[in-house]
Amino acid sequence: MRTTTTRIAGASLAAAAAMALSVGPAFAADTWVSANLKPVAGNGVDGSGTAMVDVQGNKITVTMAANGLLPDNPHAAHIHFGAEARHECPVLSDDKNGDGHLNTTEGGPAYGDIVVSLTKTGDTSPKSGLAIDRFSTAPGGKIAYQRGSIKVSSAVAKAISAGESVVVIHGVDYNKDGKYSGDTKSDLMPSLPTEATDPALCGALRVAPAGGMHTGGGLAADNLKTGGQNEALMLVGGGALLAAAGSGAFAARRARSRA
Amino acid sequence: MSERTESPDGDRPTRPARRSGVSGAGVRAAVAVTAILVVVGVIALVLGLRGTSGTPGPPQPAAAGVPSTSTSPAGPTASPGQGGTPTTGPSPSTSAGTRPSDEPGTSDDNGFGDFLEASEPTSIEIPSIGVRSSHFVPLSIQRDGTISVPGTAQEVGLYDAGPTPGQLGPAVLAAHVDTPSGVPGIFYELGKVRAGDVVKVSRRDGSHLRFTVDKVAAYKKTQFPTEAVYRGDFTKAEIRLVTCGGPTDSRNEYRDNVVVFGHLTGTS
Repeated sequence: MRTTTTRIAGASLAAAAAMALSVGPAFAADTWVSANLKPVAGNGVDGSGTAMVDVQGNKITVTMAANGLLPDNPHAAHIHFGAEARHECPVLSDDKNGDGHLNTTEGGPAYGDIVVSLTKTGDTSPKSGLAIDRFSTAPGGKIAYQRGSIKVSSAVAKAISAGESVVVIHGVDYNKDGKYSGDTKSDLMPSLPTEATDPALCGALRVAPAGGMHTGGGLAADNLKTGGQNEALMLVGGGALLAAAGSGAFAARRARSRA
Repeated sequence: MSERTESPDGDRPTRPARRSGVSGAGVRAAVAVTAILVVVGVIALVLGLRGTSGTPGPPQPAAAGVPSTSTSPAGPTASPGQGGTPTTGPSPSTSAGTRPSDEPGTSDDNGFGDFLEASEPTSIEIPSIGVRSSHFVPLSIQRDGTISVPGTAQEVGLYDAGPTPGQLGPAVLAAHVDTPSGVPGIFYELGKVRAGDVVKVSRRDGSHLRFTVDKVAAYKKTQFPTEAVYRGDFTKAEIRLVTCGGPTDSRNEYRDNVVVFGHLTGTS
């Protein structure tokens, strides 16, 4: 029994070491991150999208698609980041003025400032954040955007690579009149209605999972050894093994079932 | 097979003592039995029974451990502008000619492939290996950076930070090849899938999607092709099916992941 225990502990350590090794490369200089774009809480957009950003040194390539947007109206789109931000999409509790909608400023604590403007042409710096004439107008409610060789600072490249930036597509239609309208002025540019700049879709650009997948039966034993993070597995598959392990027959059970 | 699913074996050694109320002989016998079984068990673990005892493992793609591309040229892309396959990179206009069947609808501007709004899968079917499942669970990145796996061998997991099937980019679905005791899981025969096979996915929004397999390959988990699986091509609707394969090690962990790569070829 002591032998078994030792083996299990040893295996556990080995597994932990392997994980530590496999996590490393995700933070290498050249990498990529991706996001699922989902409707911003409170802003009533029935749409979705995807985004993928390749990072090569200080240059990025952005591939972004979305649908369900207000058609034929300009949709400002940006990558946001803030060192103090939560690196995620805003939630209803970010609605500081309590109007039930989230404007761009209210999203700040979640996603930070604009660091890249996803314009179709010309400048891509934060200065072009509201260059309405250079963003996609979403014909048919769809955006299919790709742009390479976008220069960013080292700090921004690092933040994007670390999975800390957020893609936001702006432009909503609360009153469903088919255009940007309404009495509420934009928090970013008072000459525009807030509909033109409120965030529509949002997605945090995340690093892909590290390493392979433990999709073999072997995982159940691993989870037992390491304390297990997958509760469902513990409950359904692990219960029997746990009982066996408790009485010292753990190894025996495995021996018989494999034979 | 049947003894694998009966009540926990671990109860057994203690039962005689409880029933008889006699402590001495019963307990000693139980201890002895346990000790013997433990020795057998340790030996079994060392031998890595699943890999070496001759029990038939799950079917494997042509060459396990080596990325074995099959017929179709429409494989996953490594990075933009790299490699020689016709579909490499996001340069959109080249893809039409290489995949005549790839006409699920009209392409919109920028030459992106057709794509749908997000919607969770409600069923997956792989007719060529007789697989059908409507049990889905979300898979997410855990604190250690690895992805979680389904709780049972009959569920199919969808990577929840990636696209749903039909959106642009690879929708990554994973399921167990078997249980710890070797009972086949839902993806047990995934290694038998071949290029050209069809994967059907239905979604909550009522749409029915048809993906065509581009290639099937096995990779050592230590050399898992993260880019090809999760990154693929975000200008096309793609699918990945992942399970375990290859020999097992002393911890009963499979060495490989078997990966099926496919792309959207029809929507109804």
